[in-house]
Amino acid sequence: MLTIRNLHASVEGKEILRGINLDINDGEVHVLMGPNGSGKSTLSNVLVGNPKYTVTEGTVTFNGKDLLALSPEDRSHEGIFMSFQAPVEIPGVSMTNFMRAALNAKRKYFGQEPIAAGDFLKLLKEKRKLVGLDAHFMSRGVNEGFSGGERKRNEIFQMAVLEPLFSILDETDSGLDVDALRIVAEGFNLLRTPRTSAMVITHYQRMLDYLKPDFVHVLVDGRIVKEGNADLGYAIEERGFDWIKDEIKD
Amino acid sequence: MGSLQQYIDLYAAQRDTLAAGSCPALNARREAALLQLREKGLPTLRDEDYKYTDAEAAFAPDYGLNLRRTVPATDPYRTYRCAVPNMSTQLYFVVNDVPMPPAAGQPSLPGGACVMSLKQAATDLPEVLESCYHRAAATDGDGVTALNTLLAQDGLLVYLPAGVVLPHPVQIVNVAAAGADLMMNRRLLIVAERGAQGAILCCDHADGKHATLSTQVVEIYAAEEARLDLYAVEETQATHTAFNNLYVDQAAHSRVTYHGITLTNGLTRNRLTFRLAGQGAEMVARGVAVADGEERVDNSLLVDHAAPACTSNLLYKYVLDGHSVGAFAGKVLVREGAQKSLSEQTNANLCASADARAFSQPMLEIYADDVKCNHGSTIGKLDEMALFYMRQRGIDEREARLLLQHAFVNDVLRHIEPERLRDRLAHLVEQRFRGELSACRGCRMCASHRQ
Repeated sequence: MLTIRNLHASVEGKEILRGINLDINDGEVHVLMGPNGSGKSTLSNVLVGNPKYTVTEGTVTFNGKDLLALSPEDRSHEGIFMSFQAPVEIPGVSMTNFMRAALNAKRKYFGQEPIAAGDFLKLLKEKRKLVGLDAHFMSRGVNEGFSGGERKRNEIFQMAVLEPLFSILDETDSGLDVDALRIVAEGFNLLRTPRTSAMVITHYQRMLDYLKPDFVHVLVDGRIVKEGNADLGYAIEERGFDWIKDEIKD
Repeated sequence: MGSLQQYIDLYAAQRDTLAAGSCPALNARREAALLQLREKGLPTLRDEDYKYTDAEAAFAPDYGLNLRRTVPATDPYRTYRCAVPNMSTQLYFVVNDVPMPPAAGQPSLPGGACVMSLKQAATDLPEVLESCYHRAAATDGDGVTALNTLLAQDGLLVYLPAGVVLPHPVQIVNVAAAGADLMMNRRLLIVAERGAQGAILCCDHADGKHATLSTQVVEIYAAEEARLDLYAVEETQATHTAFNNLYVDQAAHSRVTYHGITLTNGLTRNRLTFRLAGQGAEMVARGVAVADGEERVDNSLLVDHAAPACTSNLLYKYVLDGHSVGAFAGKVLVREGAQKSLSEQTNANLCASADARAFSQPMLEIYADDVKCNHGSTIGKLDEMALFYMRQRGIDEREARLLLQHAFVNDVLRHIEPERLRDRLAHLVEQRFRGELSACRGCRMCASHRQ
């Protein structure tokens, strides 16, 4: 599904990613861990085409397409979704209008007619239930006045509506209490299919428990320095990152 | 003084023609206006009030005037056919500065309410005309108002007797359509007696074939407990310059709302003065300006809290693209003794291009100690993070910008109470953002079309 080769990227002239190589296949869940500033969020943002980040070297192929040549919106249509670490508030644009615009843009990309009003409302209702998001959020501005937890739920709700092939969860678990984390993780698990994959950035063991990742990668100073299965995640939860840094030095 | 002299000379030469085409109430105010103009001239950029609009320069071109009151050959009631579903309005046209007789068969207003030309009012409602015409406007001392008073020959009167409630909005369509460069001087007098209620929709249009300049002086008198809603929508052309001076005089417990929407224009200067003269009076002034190219929109407001327990609420939002210029100056004056005054004032500007300029000056001047007044202003760009967030969800950049801009001005539009009007305006604003409102094709407020 996703092939990253020797990816270098910088933000505001400062190089953050220094040669990332990563393969993600259909149906796999990969967890990305690493100390603050190691490049996890940069990698996520580069994959979704955030204009603040500049790719200086390397390639990314997504289902056979040159991902880096696509606009952020086309990447979205092709099936890439990012759950933002800090979801943005858009006052005055209602959730309903926002989701309709997003969904219809995708349908247009694939040559389909806009969704019928009745079908759209049914879809919203069905997906809301999945993440336990109350109906009144739909008439509010996007994330306007939402609590931290509600915003994260809203991210997974949007993911459920747009049905991406590849999802990036950038610290979706942070700021969630135990119950909210369970709802979000269970919602995510319900959306998994043998064709969909995900890259999850997390610091918490609880998320590993819920997601049962296939691979764990450790990012230090813009490179993947260690890879393993879920056990590596638990080891980091227990021992921190220093032992990995020491390993690299040796 | 150069640009003014041509009008003074014209007045001196054409005084009799001008008077013959007008009526006594208007003619009686000309000499005082002339005196004032001679003394103070037209405002320039040196005047604090006109910092962003050089009136003297705007009046410098050699515009003709229609002193002989030539009526255009076309029938505007046929040219601009109104077809708003479920919003039947009482429709009146002013072509350049000539009020047209109402269309045949238009039902009359209830309870003695009426809309008529000022010349007609001189015969039918002389007391109303004499007591109200140029009463509020005269207190201002503004040069543009003086010039309008010097030259205006006619206008419209909307009269609502005590207790009358208008079932539908009165719609006044101003059209600038001239065969040569033309200046037009319009007057509108709105008198609502005690407890009367009504909505008035004013649409400004220009055909853009020649350079046109309009001055319009609107006076509104709202008696005790009267309620008036005024909607002013401008859809003119780059060739049109508009100076609109509005004077509102409010008695106790009256409520006046004003919504000013500038969709397309050339140079527009709106100077709005609200005098809250009676206890418990309430006013609202909200505006939207969408400008691009070389368009200029300048709104200057004064709210005078002259009595206790009055409320004022000002909200203006500008979206500026291209090389456009937007200016906002709002001054809320709370006089000594106007205790328990409540005032909110907000101006927010979105600059969509690097060359657009916004000037914002909200002001408070307070001489009472038991009041609650707020004011604030912002000038900024579209939120880049919000744009990217929307693009990540698949909404293309153009559409994302449009949604954000629309949301920004919808903050004003959502307050418009007649639902049909609100929907219509929201639609027009969206079309404007999509660049589909570049040419004036008649009154779009009524989705009309040329026959």
